[in-house]
Amino acid sequence: MFKMSKSQLSLALGVLLLFSLNVNSFAQTISGTVKEADTGLPLTGATLTVEGTVTGTTTDGEGWFELSASPGDVILVSYIGFTTERFTVQPDQKLYEISMVQDRFLLSEVVVTGALGLERPSREMGGSAEIVRSAELNRGRTINPLTGLQGKVSGLRINVFDSKVDPEIRIRLRGTRSLTRISSNSMDGRDPNDPIYVVDGMPVPSISRLNPNDVESITVLKGANAAALYGSEGVNGAIMITTKSGYPGQSEVNFSHTTTFSNVYMLPPRQTTYGQGNDGVYSPTQYESWGPAFDGSMRDFGLPLPDGTRPQIRYAAPSHDVRKDLFNTGVNSQNDISFAGGSENSTYFLSAQYVTQKGIIPEDTNDRVNLRFNGTRAFGNLDTKYNINFVNNRKDITPDGPWVGAYQYPANFNHNLIRDWENPDSPGNPHNYFTSARSWYRNPYFMIDNIRNESSENIINGLVELNYNFTDWFSAIYRIGLFSSSENYRNFTRKFEAEGTRNVDGSLTDGTSSYSKLNSDLILRFSQNFGRVSTNLLLGQNVRSDYRKRTSLGTDQLLYPDVLNPDSRSGNLDGSVTIQEFRSMAVYGELTTGFDDYLYLTLTGRNDWVSTLSPDNRSYFYPGVSLSLILTDAIPQLRDFRPLSFAKLYGSWNKTGNVTLSPYQLNNSYTQNNGFPYDGLTGFYPGLSNPNPNIKPEFVTSWEVGLETSFFDHRLHLGATYVYSDSDGQIFDASTSRATGYNSALVNAGRMTNDIIELNLSGDIIRNQNLQWNAGFNFAYTYNVVRELYEGLQIRQNFRQSFIVLGEQFPSLMVSDYKRDPQGRVVVGENGDPVKAIDNTLLGTLVPPYTMGINSRFHYKGFSVNAQFDWRMGGWFYSEVIPRMYTAGTHPETARYNREPFIWPNSVIEVEEGVYVENKDRYTSGGGKAFWSAQGAAPSDFLKLRELAISYSLPASWLIDSPFREVKVGIVGTNLFMITHPDNDFADPEYMYNQTDGYVSFRHIPPMRNFGFNIHMKF
Amino acid sequence: MTRMRSFFIVIATLLFLPLMSGCEDFLNVNDNPNAPGSTNLGLRHKFPAALLSTAIQESDQMNIIGGFWGGYWGTNSDGSNQYYDLKTYNGPSIRNQRDGIPVWEESFNNLLYYELIKSEADEKNDLFYSGAAKIMQGWHFLRLVDFYNNIPFDDALQGTSNPTPSYEDGEQVYRKSIDLISLGIEEVKTSANLSGGREDDILFEGNRVMWARFGNTIKLRALIRQSETGNDSYIQTEIDKIMAEGSGFLSEGETVTVNPGYSSSQPNNFYTKFYRDQGGSTTSVHHYIRPTEFLIEQYQTRNDPRIRQLYIAIDGEFNGVIFGNENTSDPRYHPENTSAFLGPEENGHRPAGIFKSPEQPNILFSSFESLFLQAEAAERGWISESADRLYKSAILESFRQTEIDESLLDEYLNQESVIYQTAPDKIERIIGQKWLALNSISNIEAWNDYRRLGWPEFPNSAASGIGQNERPLRFMYPESERSTNNENASKQGNDEMTVSPVWWDQ
Repeated sequence: MFKMSKSQLSLALGVLLLFSLNVNSFAQTISGTVKEADTGLPLTGATLTVEGTVTGTTTDGEGWFELSASPGDVILVSYIGFTTERFTVQPDQKLYEISMVQDRFLLSEVVVTGALGLERPSREMGGSAEIVRSAELNRGRTINPLTGLQGKVSGLRINVFDSKVDPEIRIRLRGTRSLTRISSNSMDGRDPNDPIYVVDGMPVPSISRLNPNDVESITVLKGANAAALYGSEGVNGAIMITTKSGYPGQSEVNFSHTTTFSNVYMLPPRQTTYGQGNDGVYSPTQYESWGPAFDGSMRDFGLPLPDGTRPQIRYAAPSHDVRKDLFNTGVNSQNDISFAGGSENSTYFLSAQYVTQKGIIPEDTNDRVNLRFNGTRAFGNLDTKYNINFVNNRKDITPDGPWVGAYQYPANFNHNLIRDWENPDSPGNPHNYFTSARSWYRNPYFMIDNIRNESSENIINGLVELNYNFTDWFSAIYRIGLFSSSENYRNFTRKFEAEGTRNVDGSLTDGTSSYSKLNSDLILRFSQNFGRVSTNLLLGQNVRSDYRKRTSLGTDQLLYPDVLNPDSRSGNLDGSVTIQEFRSMAVYGELTTGFDDYLYLTLTGRNDWVSTLSPDNRSYFYPGVSLSLILTDAIPQLRDFRPLSFAKLYGSWNKTGNVTLSPYQLNNSYTQNNGFPYDGLTGFYPGLSNPNPNIKPEFVTSWEVGLETSFFDHRLHLGATYVYSDSDGQIFDASTSRATGYNSALVNAGRMTNDIIELNLSGDIIRNQNLQWNAGFNFAYTYNVVRELYEGLQIRQNFRQSFIVLGEQFPSLMVSDYKRDPQGRVVVGENGDPVKAIDNTLLGTLVPPYTMGINSRFHYKGFSVNAQFDWRMGGWFYSEVIPRMYTAGTHPETARYNREPFIWPNSVIEVEEGVYVENKDRYTSGGGKAFWSAQGAAPSDFLKLRELAISYSLPASWLIDSPFREVKVGIVGTNLFMITHPDNDFADPEYMYNQTDGYVSFRHIPPMRNFGFNIHMKF
Repeated sequence: MTRMRSFFIVIATLLFLPLMSGCEDFLNVNDNPNAPGSTNLGLRHKFPAALLSTAIQESDQMNIIGGFWGGYWGTNSDGSNQYYDLKTYNGPSIRNQRDGIPVWEESFNNLLYYELIKSEADEKNDLFYSGAAKIMQGWHFLRLVDFYNNIPFDDALQGTSNPTPSYEDGEQVYRKSIDLISLGIEEVKTSANLSGGREDDILFEGNRVMWARFGNTIKLRALIRQSETGNDSYIQTEIDKIMAEGSGFLSEGETVTVNPGYSSSQPNNFYTKFYRDQGGSTTSVHHYIRPTEFLIEQYQTRNDPRIRQLYIAIDGEFNGVIFGNENTSDPRYHPENTSAFLGPEENGHRPAGIFKSPEQPNILFSSFESLFLQAEAAERGWISESADRLYKSAILESFRQTEIDESLLDEYLNQESVIYQTAPDKIERIIGQKWLALNSISNIEAWNDYRRLGWPEFPNSAASGIGQNERPLRFMYPESERSTNNENASKQGNDEMTVSPVWWDQ
């Protein structure tokens, strides 16, 4: 029997103890820094814990930590909003550098900027929200912050629909809810389907002039649910922007410079077989391409010149696409500098940005100066915040003309021949220009120099916020902000005297447009905990006042080409002044009750009073309720289930009132027309839209339910949401039977529903100290149906080929198509020509129902590669360029059959009603100009590489003796390539025209890709 | 604690501020400062606008349709693809919302202007405006029936109270329109007579008798229109009522014109569209439109002196074109070889037959049309007047309109092709002369008379695909109506342009 003596026992115990102590006694002090992977910024307050123990520490202001640990210990590093890191202590390594990756795609523990610009824990929120932080936003170094958001948030659809220097951008969150189209005289330029933009708690009409480098984060509150407290304007969701402020203990200077170059691409295809002329006969003065086939000879071109010579041109297929000669390589350069710092009681952030852009159309320029100062100061219980932003934007462009002729000119056109238009002996001079056709078909260089739009816009945007803590359970915030913009513009066409259609009348319009919005919020917050129940009550009052004044003065009979003044004219002066005013008041409240920090119930209510409705109808109330349940905290089984690190179930129901009315729409205004006044006799006509003084607000009822989860220690995130929204009683200018006398009537009618599914998936595929690779995918499917219109109205034209069709998605594309048999084959008539269908054909929706974004972030030591893809499917679009190319004979299809009569491919003959026989022998009536007509519709599916950014941060060791704390260089490209549907080889399907989705105007210039480099330094 | 309470009171006050009365004023900023509304403007500011709108529709839209469909106009080779829908009687294209000819839409808009004037006049008990508006509404409803046959009447013009108005038979609308005009005449006659006249009445300056005559003549036209329907006793009854009313019809020198104050800087739209624009250049319409060969022939076989005042001679000859001709190579129909409209610029700065000066008024109802209508009524025995005298009087009025010397009248009238007494078919004779007189003034009546009586027998459109006997009989219901009121429009049966005649076309 083995028996231990007492002394042996104590020895054994001692050895054991020694061994256990050994583990500890071999403990060493490890130290190092914890940094943010994206920016390299040190993380203050990150927690390091030795796994399985309570030993731990936090990092200091420099991100530095010291911790006692032994080799083999696993250290957990955690920080709110970042995925938890772990590393194992190595035997001979004392210094560690930990990089933490932002938990960007879903909000598990983070604090979100909620409605009213108030921060709240995301766990409480019953609605979907996504954050995009500064680094993410600025990866593509875009000039307009909206373009930086593309493809990064599910359900957020951004269209950039212009390649000019100051492109137009449109945003939609979770589909459309309103059938109304914006009028060109809208007060603040917002469309009824736009989300509300809020900067630091203050609503602003537009954020396209904001400096993206000033942005700390953008929170996208999707759907009315999340923005119920913003009232009517928030019915489409909210884009909440928080600008940077300094933080205590900081003192840094950031400088960055970006230069990008833009090149046009994806020009519509053209035929290179036939040149200029008519009916197969060459004509030196014809711009349409219905002449003979190219034969390589030298031919006369245009008119004889005053000096007796005649320009010559080689009548042959060109070696390159001559249309590209019209475009320049655009150059965009941005310089930003910012100073940030703070002490215990105050912080400041000062930034300046200078952007210059030269467009792809020669002579187009746009310059912008952006200044900002954000400061805070605390006085005891009173916190004050003051932000002010000033922007000056100067633009000098030629409106749409030069490209319109280019795609209709012959393929062998020589742009160099006509560049010099001022010289009277040059073929470019309007007297000698080869075609006498007017307007768009003039010499493009002449148009660029003589038809210009100049504008200068100043914007001041500022706010003051006072936050007073009366007691620890009661505080009040008062915030007042002003957004004021003022624009001066001058649009002119210089006079050029010439014969007949070559003559250009001089015209000039000078105008101003000024807008200001004053917004004031008083918010009271109460919070009290009753045992396990926490309550937060928010009561608020809002007052808002908007004012817009537009003036314009002009003449279309200038006397001299070089005196651009309305005084120097013949005939009458034209002018107008328009004033618009809007005011509203509201009271609102929100009550959030939480149970044990895992179950939250929020009730909201708001009552608005607006000036645009009649006094009887101007007050309206709307409530909302939302619920949030943190499953991993509520259900113990889930809490212990290791792979699942976080799960939240949420749902909400909201009813939001919306008033999509411009001021003064309740009264019918009379205007003089048909030449009145005649010599003192006045004659006024009423408007032809029947106003309705009793119009009521429309209401959007929506509910959503969703699940947010993350797995494997927040390494994999998965979120899914289902949303249903119903907009009823829409304020709608419905077309009515003309027999009522009016063309349309303003009514509460129309109902549209949206069923939306959103999915988010992201994860760290590789995650270790030096190498990280994170990929994400977001998806949204929107099913939108127009359920009701007005009385007998079935179809209403929205704009040209865009229609509102009962029972279909909004908007729908309807075109005049050929008559087809049930199998879709074209029916040809007696003369062999395809027959046009009597009624328009519905092709589909103009808004793609499926939108997806894919992004990939790859990080290795200081080197990172990030790519963003945008993918849309299921929609259609229409291009006005294509029919014009057919008429001009430049479209490849017109050359396909050698311009002879041909048998229309895959066509049928209707031998008797409903009976179709394959067409084998009926040739078309011709192949020349008189025969062709075309539509330009195609599916709008596309996959674009939106952004590709490759950057390298210089290692810290190189910078030790330099004034720089950080230096990062990189190359960046946007819109690098696009894959479109096989039927679409001619246009960028993302374009829009006149607030109509899927519509490429004949004036739109082709898309451009941008690529360049940037350098960023921190001192 | 009291500090807390008073503090709460302040907060509550601030929060409930919007509910106080002061906020109503704050929010009352919804009155349009940019344009006057109905309450700021008196009727005298709205009346001339409505009248001018009617006149413009008549002299522009109606003249173009009637010019081509009434046998007067065609295009030369340069204009061969102009007015293509009218040449090919393309009903679906003409009713197209974007590119069609909006007779329905424009007429109902004009009816709305008069409806609003009528309502306001009723409120203010102003019989003059109320009566005049009724007369003008009658004018428009009658025109609409001539184009579309069955249209809404009682249900029309009620805005959102009746958004899908039901239709009534053309004949029914005709009767009701005639009654409406009668009522209007009564009201105008009993209205106050303003001593200074009415400057805003750009038709008659407030002259009530003229309004009555105008109303009566419109009714006469509507009654004559029914000549082939067998409604003779109804027609006789109505004409008797008109004679009893006493004001009579428009007679010599009483052409109804509209002139809001045209001047050289604000010229007449008819002049600037069909002749010369404001800068003095020939318009494209003047370049394309020519008289038909048939029209020229009708003037020439009658040795009609008026032709010299209407068209530009080419080497002493007057050359016309063929309506609907698609052959552009034949030099006979080239612009330089065919006779365009004559105007002051080609006439030594003297007024010509149709184009006189930029300040000329728009003609709404010519005196000679009234006289021809009376002549026809007399010939049919509905009024006891001398048809011969009325006939001669009408032609004299036309001579005066075309600036022809009156001394040439007798010689003209004595020709066998013109003389009335011995004409084989007197009504055909009246219609033939009426057709020549209305040339480019009230073209639409030529189409109406052709549908009614088949005279004169001008040739059909020469466009390819047009059958020999295929003539335009009506307009189709417009797309705007089909997409907003289809249920009612569909109940009216076939509305094809060359198939379905209007009710008085028997």
